[in-house]
Amino acid sequence: MSLLYPLFLAGIAAVSLPILLHMIRRHTRKRVTFSSLMFLRPTLPRFRSRSRLEHVPLLILRCLVLCLLAFAFARPFLARPAASGAAAPSQRTVLLIDTSASMRRTGMWDRVLDEARSVLRDTGPADRLCVMRFDRGARTVIGFEQWETMNPAQRASLVTQELSRVSPGWGGTDLGQALITAAEAIEDDETNDAGQARAARQVVLVSDLQQGSRLEALRAYEWPQGLQLVVRTIPSQGATNAALQLVTKRDSLAPAQAQELPEIRVTNSGEAARDHFELRWAGGDATSETASPPLDVYVAAGHSTVVPAPARPQRQNAVRLVLAGDEDDFDNVLYVLPNLAQQVNVLYVGSDDPNDTAGMLYYLRQAFGTGQALTSHIVHRPASGVLDAQDIDTAHLIVVTDALDQRNIAPLRRYLEAGQSLLLALKSADAGAALSALAGAGPSESQEAEVDLYAMLGRLEFDHPLLKPFSDPRFGDFTRIHFWKYRRIEAADYPGARVLARYENDDPAWLEIPVGKGALLVWTSGWQPSDSDLALSSKFVPLLYGTLEYGGTLPSRQSQYFIGDAVPLPTRAFSQAAGLQVRKPDGAIVRVGAGGQAFTETDLPGVYSIADLGSPGGIVKPEGLGDGRVAGVPPALRGHDARDRSSGDAAPRNLPSFAVNLPVAESRTDPLPVEELEKLGVLLKPTAGAVSAAAQRAAHHRSFSEMESRQKLWRWVLAATFVVLLIETWLGGWLTRPSPMPEGDQP
Amino acid sequence: MNDPKIPSRSTTGANRAEGLIDPVALMKIKSMELRAKAVVEGFWKGIHRSPYHGFSVEFTEYRQYAFGDDPRYLDWRVYARSDRFYIKKFEDETNLRCHLLLDHSRSMGYASGAYSKAQYAGTLAATLAYFLFTQGDAVGLATFDDQIREYLPPRNRASYLRRLLLTLETQPAGRATSLGPPLQRLAGMLTRRGMIVLISDLLTSIERLERDLGYLCAGGHDVVVFHVLDPAELSFDFTAPALFQDVETGRDLYVDPTVAQKNYRQLLEEHLARTRSVCQGLAIDYHLFATDRPFDLALLDFLQDRMHRRKRVKRIRGPGAGLGSGGAGRAV
Repeated sequence: MSLLYPLFLAGIAAVSLPILLHMIRRHTRKRVTFSSLMFLRPTLPRFRSRSRLEHVPLLILRCLVLCLLAFAFARPFLARPAASGAAAPSQRTVLLIDTSASMRRTGMWDRVLDEARSVLRDTGPADRLCVMRFDRGARTVIGFEQWETMNPAQRASLVTQELSRVSPGWGGTDLGQALITAAEAIEDDETNDAGQARAARQVVLVSDLQQGSRLEALRAYEWPQGLQLVVRTIPSQGATNAALQLVTKRDSLAPAQAQELPEIRVTNSGEAARDHFELRWAGGDATSETASPPLDVYVAAGHSTVVPAPARPQRQNAVRLVLAGDEDDFDNVLYVLPNLAQQVNVLYVGSDDPNDTAGMLYYLRQAFGTGQALTSHIVHRPASGVLDAQDIDTAHLIVVTDALDQRNIAPLRRYLEAGQSLLLALKSADAGAALSALAGAGPSESQEAEVDLYAMLGRLEFDHPLLKPFSDPRFGDFTRIHFWKYRRIEAADYPGARVLARYENDDPAWLEIPVGKGALLVWTSGWQPSDSDLALSSKFVPLLYGTLEYGGTLPSRQSQYFIGDAVPLPTRAFSQAAGLQVRKPDGAIVRVGAGGQAFTETDLPGVYSIADLGSPGGIVKPEGLGDGRVAGVPPALRGHDARDRSSGDAAPRNLPSFAVNLPVAESRTDPLPVEELEKLGVLLKPTAGAVSAAAQRAAHHRSFSEMESRQKLWRWVLAATFVVLLIETWLGGWLTRPSPMPEGDQP
Repeated sequence: MNDPKIPSRSTTGANRAEGLIDPVALMKIKSMELRAKAVVEGFWKGIHRSPYHGFSVEFTEYRQYAFGDDPRYLDWRVYARSDRFYIKKFEDETNLRCHLLLDHSRSMGYASGAYSKAQYAGTLAATLAYFLFTQGDAVGLATFDDQIREYLPPRNRASYLRRLLLTLETQPAGRATSLGPPLQRLAGMLTRRGMIVLISDLLTSIERLERDLGYLCAGGHDVVVFHVLDPAELSFDFTAPALFQDVETGRDLYVDPTVAQKNYRQLLEEHLARTRSVCQGLAIDYHLFATDRPFDLALLDFLQDRMHRRKRVKRIRGPGAGLGSGGAGRAV
């Protein structure tokens, strides 16, 4: 019999109280009537001598009550010998293995496997084990149920075999979420396996415990009571780890400067022993030879610096910036594609003089000025002539302002039906014929509207994607745009037409008429100053760019992606039925079905290339690195380059490639103090080697506490106390019952 | 006057051993009249005298003149016939008016034995009344606690005695003893001088007692105080500690008698001494009675005291002055 809190036995000293009380004369309940108290003075109670203790059985019972109470508070328990071997209580264990990119460091994975084998050795046949791996998220390698179905004798070897197939990936480390997943797995297993609900439980974390680990998820999670975390840290062999990061340009629409180099942030670890590194360009794959002279970078330990990347070699497909000089090279490569400037081909079909500053073409050219992310190429063709098929094919946007030659109608309709957009601005009433032809509607009339001084836009459909950017009240004021002239058409003449904007008198101003997969956008007025103020207003350029984006030409403006990011895919402009193919850096091809909005399998750093399966040939070019196009045509390299397609019938239609890099936080490999986990409420189990005497005592106390809480002997002691108390009450009542002839009150 | 020392139980036991009537036995007699008669037997002729000179209307006997007899009572006719001096004796009608003041406060109900102080005092009063009646004195009765409860004016008729004795049989039901108001009221009521016998336990403060007794003395009355106390009150020989409750106020007090006895007796003695001193100062006859004291002894003490008082009176008045017509054994 042992006691959890033996200090409470000091309460036994309280038995002196009843003894003392029993020694005091207590006849206060006896009353003696007396004629007068005028000659009496109160006297203090006197103590009886020890031999004169009254009601000894009662005294014994009262002392016994106090002793039992003190004993109950001392929490007695039957100490059983320390469990050993097969007698040990079964426990649930989740082996949580870090497979983030930082575990790719030299020698680390082998030690992870060693630790895993050690855990397997310590696992008894009655234990339940679950093996999980985690980087950005946790995945189960061996579940509890699978473990249970294994032959106990072969479990270790089977799990080791399974683990040998696992290797660290390239993802970041979301340690918080992984710990929560592990804890929930244990709780779920306890729920499913209620028979062993009381077994000990623990999570064994095998990780480098780097500072870049994300722990935010733990802040909103209450760590289960009694669930212990065993941390088996895998220390890094090297202390110096430098990392690369592409510094994002904030102003992507700023005019592109020639020869502008990307800026690179080089970060050095806090415990680094070196501070001198080299930065150089390398080819598209790791086997490529060094492609450029190195750039020396000096970064003090724990600091970072931003340097312009060295000049990109012109004749090589250099997309990899490689850092040299540190000890861990898993994060030494940064994939930087050449400037993402995209060429946009606009085919203008109209009778304008390009040099006429009052013409529509002039303002169109001004609107599509070259920005950093966009390079425009405007082709002007007269409306009266026959359009070149190549011009139509390569155009991202066709703008028609005049009546068309009949021979041009069919190719333009095909263009529309393929899913492209065509903007028809009715510069004159004659252009209404082109509208009827392109829309495929019957002959309809358009006539010059009678405008009293000017017309204004009265109602706009801001929920349309084209006008959505203006839905904010700050940008939605179109009243300053005056329309001096416009052409009146009937929207009802065109089936499916949707009026995007109307004049004040309800005449349609802007319409969208679906033609096949594409959209025919009709503006009933020109934007030149003789027709309206539109070209001079701030809305003009956003409207044109919106038209481009509506056609799917401008897919996304995110400058860089990291492992695990979802990359949005261009959808509208390409073959919806066939879908897309994405070629990963390792050559694997991922097919994205029709309707797929984003590509999520970005699990490798490198350059991913997208191909349109609906295009002729349908062959995906591997990231566009090996065919020379990348290096040869730098500005348009990543745009979907239809001119390549024109060079051969079987050429695939390549879409923009994108580079995926390692998450920046993964490079923060300095060890994370394990106390950080404790601060977030995680119960840590001290490792056997580092247990101090105090911790050992605490551990013993915990085990005793568990033992005591299982046995709960105090309940029985308390019950015995109540029984004794009842006997005492009865005996006390019996002894002090009123006697018929009290003797003490008569002299 | 009696010894102011507290009488002990052994003393009272010795009194019983002398063949006197045991009060315990006496109190077993239910009839108050019989009790009184039993005590008074043997004291047929008192030795006390009336402070007033009475006159006789009814002849009883002749007696030969002795020196000191009042010559006014000589029967000259007998002298003429026989030439001898004879005194003509008459059945006296006295003017003595005696008031028995009986304390019926609740403290008088205390009894450590078979009877209470009130019962003892009642019997004592009955004895005195009977005795005085037999001597032809008019006896009245007043019972009181903090005010007068019963009042019977002095009469000298046999039927009146019975009524008086019946009144004495009532048990005390009063509250606290407060001599002041009733005595003050009585002093106002009693216009004619007479004898006042106060029977009480006098459990009140000395200062008040002196003032209250002064009311009676101021009227020129002849005041006799019978201070009646229970033997337990005198000795306080309790053994067990207990909560002692004041029978009048209901106040509780934890008292260990073995500790408190000495102090109690000391305070009681002081109280008795001061009471006696007060009575002495007011020329009051004071008699302390324990309730186990035989009544005949009490009566004897009373009569002896009265005799001493007569002598005192005689000394004050001078030889031959103030004596009534009664014989040697006749005094009121």
